[in-house]
Amino acid sequence: MKQKRFLKTATPYFFVLPWIIGFLVFTIGPLIFSLIMSFFDWPLIGSPEFVGFGNYIEMFTKDEQFKKSLVISLKYAAIFVPLNMIIALFLAMLITQPVKGVRVFRTIYYIPTVISGVAVSILWGWILNGDYGVLNYLLSLIGIDGPKWLVDPAWAIVAVIIASAFGVGSMMLIFYTDIKNIPIDVYEAANLDGATPARQFFSITLPIITPTILFNLITSIISSFQQVTLVMLLTGGGPLKSTYFYGLMTYNNAFKHHKLGYASANAWVMFIIILILTALVFKSSSAWVFYETEAGGAKQKKGGKK
Amino acid sequence: MKKKLVAMLALTMAATLAFTGCGKKEDGKTADGKTKVRFASWDTAEDADAQQAMVDKFNEQHDDIEVVLEAYGGEFDTKIAAGMGAKDTPDVMYMWNYPAYAGGLEPLDSYMEEEGEGYKDNFYETLWDYNSLDGKVYGIPIGFTTHALFYNKDIFAEAGIDEPTNDWTWDDVKEAAKAIESKTGKKGFSFQMKPDPYDYEMYLWSNDAAYCDEEGNLDGNLNSDKSKEVFQMFQDMAKEGYAVATEKSGTDEFRAGSTGMYVYGSWSINSFNEDGLNYGVVDIPAFKGASHDSVSILSSSGISMSADSKNKEAAWEFIKFWTSEEMNKERIGRELPVLKTVVETEGIMEQPEYVAFYTMLEQSSGYTPASFIIDTWSELSSDLSLSFERVYNPSALEDVSAVLDEAAAK
Repeated sequence: MKQKRFLKTATPYFFVLPWIIGFLVFTIGPLIFSLIMSFFDWPLIGSPEFVGFGNYIEMFTKDEQFKKSLVISLKYAAIFVPLNMIIALFLAMLITQPVKGVRVFRTIYYIPTVISGVAVSILWGWILNGDYGVLNYLLSLIGIDGPKWLVDPAWAIVAVIIASAFGVGSMMLIFYTDIKNIPIDVYEAANLDGATPARQFFSITLPIITPTILFNLITSIISSFQQVTLVMLLTGGGPLKSTYFYGLMTYNNAFKHHKLGYASANAWVMFIIILILTALVFKSSSAWVFYETEAGGAKQKKGGKK
Repeated sequence: MKKKLVAMLALTMAATLAFTGCGKKEDGKTADGKTKVRFASWDTAEDADAQQAMVDKFNEQHDDIEVVLEAYGGEFDTKIAAGMGAKDTPDVMYMWNYPAYAGGLEPLDSYMEEEGEGYKDNFYETLWDYNSLDGKVYGIPIGFTTHALFYNKDIFAEAGIDEPTNDWTWDDVKEAAKAIESKTGKKGFSFQMKPDPYDYEMYLWSNDAAYCDEEGNLDGNLNSDKSKEVFQMFQDMAKEGYAVATEKSGTDEFRAGSTGMYVYGSWSINSFNEDGLNYGVVDIPAFKGASHDSVSILSSSGISMSADSKNKEAAWEFIKFWTSEEMNKERIGRELPVLKTVVETEGIMEQPEYVAFYTMLEQSSGYTPASFIIDTWSELSSDLSLSFERVYNPSALEDVSAVLDEAAAK
């Protein structure tokens, strides 16, 4: 009897067990392990040595590159996140229009997301080449002498941002599904009241999709800080370390310079920065994110008055 | 509730243990009692397939040993590093970065001695400089490339000037490059804007300089007059317009026929031949004021044994096979043979595109790259790379002397 009851309560856990094991072994385990490592001078070969907060102290007091890379990553995030969201939203609006062949466009816009990051990097390496790149060729057609994108430190970060905007597809898709979910009668009513398309967008579409905007904002902040593949393959952190992103610095410290403890400390600082930024966004969200379920009552009342 | 949690935890723990348990069971033996040798390679795709075929051949010849190829590809360094950290390194592995990994590798001198005198001597002398550390051999050479001067014969014909020879100095290169630029509008010479500091030291050696002395001091070496002369020469060539600093290796520009000359390893010979490019290869030009002929860096690969290996006898057996004449012949087309006898019997020196690489190999003996001397090379290399870029990047072109003094003072 007792055994039966145990089985009954335990059954659900059996079902989620594979996931729990995966989570413990591949996520929580390494996470905790890296925190421990960050307090050690952990060389590749030989035995680790406990240094307490040594790695963190070194990072904030001695390592010039730490500050530089952090600024580069912040700069990248500050430009990339809003730009990416605007492009994604714009494309999402386009592909919700009832135009012939819209499915084809939807596929075209989404394809870059499916391509592996490595291929994208190589592709953009060719497109952005200063001397025979397609981009500069196109610019030359309209009389602009394009910069040496990947050689001029002033332009390299712009080049990286352009290349990363290529992967806008998944965000576009999320916006798209949400916009599609907005009931058509809302727009019909607005139309009858004589609202222009722009007015409809700002007064109906945008407020309704704010939860999705919040989601995309957070995920893109996180991913912009974690950006490694693209810069590693496209610019290698150069020219003149102008695109030496924080993530790349961490990677190089670990796998190129073999300072595993120091790199773990780098990673944890990044984790905390992301955590703070995410928390700030969440805090602010109550002011601008609109949840239908929460506001439902109030809205109905308003409608009733009219 | 508490009970549930305990049950859940217990279950997870048990399952985790069961999973990790699997990995520990083996003790260097396969199921049928053969000695198992794990062999890690960095090759992928066709190269890895070719290696698998050769491994199969070895396994057929040996009843008591089974070699398992682990093709790590681009993850090679990460995996070897992780393996050494966890004391779970493959028994045999490809190797080039000895300074970083020597701590986990088995010195091979005593193994070689048992093979007799002739064994070591059949390899080109210079190769041992690059497969040893502190006087101990850690890897048996597999392949190498030196660098040499490639030139486009069509461009030289178009400009109506004599083709380079092995006796050329950099002054000759400058003259030819100027002539090419003025007569064809193409760039005469190209060099890398962001050269790998490891490779670049060869120019310093060629001009009687080096990054550091035997103790690893940069100051007075990296920023010596002889060293600055080298950097200044390349920068001037770019400034004066007949040479170009390329974003990548310069191979693309050379293949496209937009530059007349460049210095590079043997890596792209196959693709040049496929393209039908009309090119020639000669020794790296010498510096006029230097006391000796030009010197090349070696990019070399070897095969090493893990210090933790439980089956060292079997591992050595495989290493011997892998570095034998037969295997050297097998690898022609992918690697330059490292055995003198193979170079002779296969007539490698009769193929004009390869001769320069062997001449450079023979005249480059006795130099130790800074990466073998300086413990923190990996970080220094990043710093140097940045310094070189500041000198050669067309948006920077900073003063050579100031940049090198700053780099040496660090």
